[in-house]
Amino acid sequence: MTPPQDAAPKPPKYSVDLESMNLPRKRASSPASSISSLPSFRTSNPSLHKLFESTASASGSRPGSGSATPTASVAPASIFSGLRNGAGTPGSLPPGVSDEHRTLIQRAFAPHVVVLADVETEELIRGKGFEGGLLQLLRPFGESVPGKVTIRDSVGASKSYEDFGVRFVGVNESLGLPSMPGREASNGKRDSSRVSSSSIRPRRVGGDVSQIEELVDRHLQYSEFNTQDMVSDYMNQGEPQLQGSATSSPFYSLYLRRLLSGLPLVPHETFAHPVAGVIAISSRNTNPIEELRRLYSRQHDGDLRFPQWVENDFLRYYVLIHDEETGDIAKSNQTFDSMKRHFGLHCHLLRLKSQQCIPSDDDSVRLPTCEWMSASEELAEIQKRELADEITDPTPYLPDSDTTAIRTFIRELVAQSIIPNMERAVSTWNEQVLARRRGLSGRFMSLSKRWTSFGSSRSSSSSIPSANSNYDSLQGFYRPDAPEALMRKLADYCFMLRDYKLGLSTYDILRTDFQNDKAWRHYAGAAEMAAISALLTTGPQSSKTRTENIDSWIEAASYSYTDRQRSAAPYYALRTLALGLELLRLRGSSAADDAARWASRILETGLVGAVGTSLFTERISACHAVRNGIGALKLGSRRRKAAFWAVLAAESWWRMGKALQAEKCIDNALRLYGTQNDAGPVQLPYRDMQAFIDNMRQQILGLRLANRGLRDDEDSEDGDPIPGHTVVEEATESLDILPRAHRKSLIGAVAPALALEPLSPRVETAAELKDDHFEGV
Amino acid sequence: MSYYFTIFSPTDTPLYTHDFGTSRSGGDGIPHFTSSERALAPFILHSALDIVEEVQWGASTSSGSAPMYLKHIDKYANNFVSCWITGANVRFLLLTRPRDEALGLSGTTGGSRGSLAGGRSGLTSAGLYNPSAPATEEAVKNFFVDVYEIWVKTVMNPFFHAGNGDIVKSPVFRARVGAAAKKFL
Repeated sequence: MTPPQDAAPKPPKYSVDLESMNLPRKRASSPASSISSLPSFRTSNPSLHKLFESTASASGSRPGSGSATPTASVAPASIFSGLRNGAGTPGSLPPGVSDEHRTLIQRAFAPHVVVLADVETEELIRGKGFEGGLLQLLRPFGESVPGKVTIRDSVGASKSYEDFGVRFVGVNESLGLPSMPGREASNGKRDSSRVSSSSIRPRRVGGDVSQIEELVDRHLQYSEFNTQDMVSDYMNQGEPQLQGSATSSPFYSLYLRRLLSGLPLVPHETFAHPVAGVIAISSRNTNPIEELRRLYSRQHDGDLRFPQWVENDFLRYYVLIHDEETGDIAKSNQTFDSMKRHFGLHCHLLRLKSQQCIPSDDDSVRLPTCEWMSASEELAEIQKRELADEITDPTPYLPDSDTTAIRTFIRELVAQSIIPNMERAVSTWNEQVLARRRGLSGRFMSLSKRWTSFGSSRSSSSSIPSANSNYDSLQGFYRPDAPEALMRKLADYCFMLRDYKLGLSTYDILRTDFQNDKAWRHYAGAAEMAAISALLTTGPQSSKTRTENIDSWIEAASYSYTDRQRSAAPYYALRTLALGLELLRLRGSSAADDAARWASRILETGLVGAVGTSLFTERISACHAVRNGIGALKLGSRRRKAAFWAVLAAESWWRMGKALQAEKCIDNALRLYGTQNDAGPVQLPYRDMQAFIDNMRQQILGLRLANRGLRDDEDSEDGDPIPGHTVVEEATESLDILPRAHRKSLIGAVAPALALEPLSPRVETAAELKDDHFEGV
Repeated sequence: MSYYFTIFSPTDTPLYTHDFGTSRSGGDGIPHFTSSERALAPFILHSALDIVEEVQWGASTSSGSAPMYLKHIDKYANNFVSCWITGANVRFLLLTRPRDEALGLSGTTGGSRGSLAGGRSGLTSAGLYNPSAPATEEAVKNFFVDVYEIWVKTVMNPFFHAGNGDIVKSPVFRARVGAAAKKFL
C-alpha cells in the first residue's frame, strides 16, 4: 500500500512547521546536529544531572501526595464496576488513576508571602553562600510546611492537610504578565541597595508558555540523550507496561507544574497578591525598631509599594535574625522583647549560623531544590550549571540546626499567623460583604445598578469610574476596597484554604457582577475558578450540573480569555482548559469524554507549541483510556479512541525527534489495540494500519539510533526492530565517542560562542549578569 | 469531497474497503486525500467504532424501533464519519472528507461545485459543510441502502461467512458499491 511509504517524505514539511512555532530557541533541523551544538549532554556534570533528575522524579511521584492511590494496574476484575455516568467523586477514583494532578492543583494555589529584609540581613545570608539572600534561603522550605496544618472552613469544620505550603516572593518581582511590558516600567522604581531585585535575576514569574515549552523540551532532550543503553530498554520491552496509561508521563506533570508555578501578579485574580509580608532585620542592626518601621513604611507607601490595585494592609510579620556565631543572644532577646512590645504577637526570633557551610561538614544539609520555580528560573539554572565546568554542586549547603530553625519559623508563621488571619478575613468578609450582596437589598442594589446605568447618559462613564460601577474600565481593575474586589479576595482565600464550597458560590455571584460591569478578564477569571472549584469539591455531581454549569463556565472562561478582549491572555486560557481537563478526567466515565473534548480544544485553538501539542495529544489518549466499559464486552469503553490518539501522539513525538517518547506512545497504542491477547505480536485489523505502525516503529528506531549519533541508513534497513547484538555494539561505541567529541568542541577556540548559541537571549543575559554579580561579591 | 468506506465485521475486522471521490457536479470519482489523511483514515474509522457501540446501545432517538442508519456519529479534524448497522452487527462506516472550501479553510466560497451530499444543497447558510443537514443525511442514507441491498445478496451466498472475517473479494460487489457511490454521493 502506498500511504506508509508516503509517510517518509513528511519530515521536511514538519520541520518547517516546527520553525514556525513560536519557540524562542532556534531548533537545528536534525537532532544529531543539535546535540553537537548543545554543551549540555556531558555525562560528567553531576549537578546538572541532579537537577534534571530531581525535577523529573519529583514530578513523577510526589512524596507529599500520600493520599494518592497507588498506581495499580488496571485489574481485570474491574469489568463489572458499573458505568457511573460521570457522577464519580474524586475520592473514589477509577482503578489505575492517580490523583496526582489534583494534589498538584491544590498545592499550586498557595498563599504568597512577600519577603523584605534589611541590608545587614542580606549580607549575613550572602555570607553563608546564598547569593539570593533571605528569599533564596526561605523559599524551598516554604513550599511544604512541616507537619499537618489545620484549617477551619466557613461552617466551622476543621480539616488537616499535610501538603499545605506558602510561596515566598520578593517585592514586586512577580508583577504582571510577560506580555504586559508597560506595567513594569510604570512602577519600576526600585531601591538599588536591595540586591535581590528582579532586574538582574531571571524573572520569578511564570505565565510564559513559550518558556515552559522550552524548558520541557530541554528535559526531553536530556532524557533522550542520557538514558541508559537501549539494551536494557529492549530487555524491558517484552514486559507489558501496564502503568503506561495510569500514570502520566513525567514531562506532562512537569509541564503542568511549570504552568502553575510563579503565578503572575495581576489585577483580575488575587492568588499572587501577598497574604502576608515578612520583614526581617538582623541582630547586627544598631537600631532595630527604627529599621523595622522604616522598612514597613517603605513597603506600605514608599518606593516598594505594590501597585494600587493590590490591597496594602496585609499582615506584617517581623523577624529578628540572630547571628549565632557573633551575636549576643541576651542582646537579641532584649531586642526581640521590645519588638514584641511594639508590633504585637507577629514576631519571631530566627537563629542562624553565619558561617558558610560546605558539603563535607558534619551535619550539613543541601538546600532543597525549589519545586515551584518558574520556567525561566529553571532554564537559567540549567544554563548556569551547563556552563559551570566544575564537578562540584553549586547548590549551597546549610547546617542542620539552621534547617530546623527555619522549619520551626515557617511552621509558626503559617499555622499561627497566616492561616488564622486568613480565616478571620474570610469570616469578616463573608459577614460584611458577601452576606450583604447575597441578601435581598444586595440583589436590589445590583438590579438598580443595572437599570440606572441605562437611564444615565453613558457618554462620560468611560473616562471616570461611574457612580454605579466600581469597575475602572480605563485601567481595567477594581479598587481593592470595592466590594467586588473584596469578594474576589474572599473567594480566592477560600480557594487557597481549600474551602471550595464557599469559593464556588462566591465566584458564581462575582461572575454575574463582572458580566454586568463588562469586566471581561475579571469575568473570565471568576468563571475559571468557579469551574475549577466546582470540580475540586469532593462530592458527587450529576452529569446534568456538570454539563450545564461547568462546561459553560470553562467555555466562557476560555473564550473571554482569548477572544473577547484586545489583549488576549492565552496563558490563562490554557490554564483553564488544562486544569479543567485534568479534574474532569479524574471523575471518570462520561466526564472523561468532556476532558478529551477540552484537550482537543487546546490543540485546535493553538494555545500550545510543539511540545505542548504532543503532550496534550498524549493526554487525550489518556482521557479516553480512563473510561472503562461495562460488561464482558466492555461496552462504552474508549479503547480504540485511546489507541488512535496514542498513535497520533507517537507521530507527533517522532516529528519532533523525540524517539523515546514516540516509542512509549506507540507501545501504549499497541497495548490498547491488542488487549485481547497479550502474548505474541498483535495483528491490527487493517493491513494499512499494521503497515503504518510498522513503518513508524522502524522510523522511530532509526531516529533513536540517529540520536545516539549513528547514521541511520544502515541500521534502519534491517527491518526487524530487535537487532540485539548490533545494538549492544552501537551503544558502547556511542558512549565511548560522544563525550570526547563534545569535550573537543568546548575546548576549541570558538567554544564560548558555540556554547551560548542555543540559549534564548533573555535568559542568556540574565545568566551573564548573575555571574558578574557573583564575582562582585 | 473524498470518501473512505469500510465494512466492519462484528469482531472489528474490516471486510471490505473502498475509497472514492464524489461524482456529483463534475467530480471525477477519484479520492483526493493527502497522503497523511489517507494513512490516518483507517485509524479514524476504527476509533469511531467506540462511538458506534455507544450509539448502538444507547438511548434510541427514534421511538420504538432501533434504526439501522445511525447518521453522523463521529468527527476527527475535518473527517466526518457516518454509520449504518445491519441486523447481524456488521457496521458500514463512511468517512467523508469535504473539500477545503466546504470547510471554510480556503478563501474561495464553496458551493458552486459540490456533490449532493454536502454540496450545493447540503451547504448551510454559512456555506459550510454540515454533516447533519437533511440533504446530506438523505444522500448518505440512499448510498447505505443500496450497499445494504448488495451486501445482503452477498452474505446470502452459502460459501461466504461474514462472521468468520472473510474478506469480500468479489469484483461484482466492488463494481456495485462504486455504482451506488456514483449515483448518490
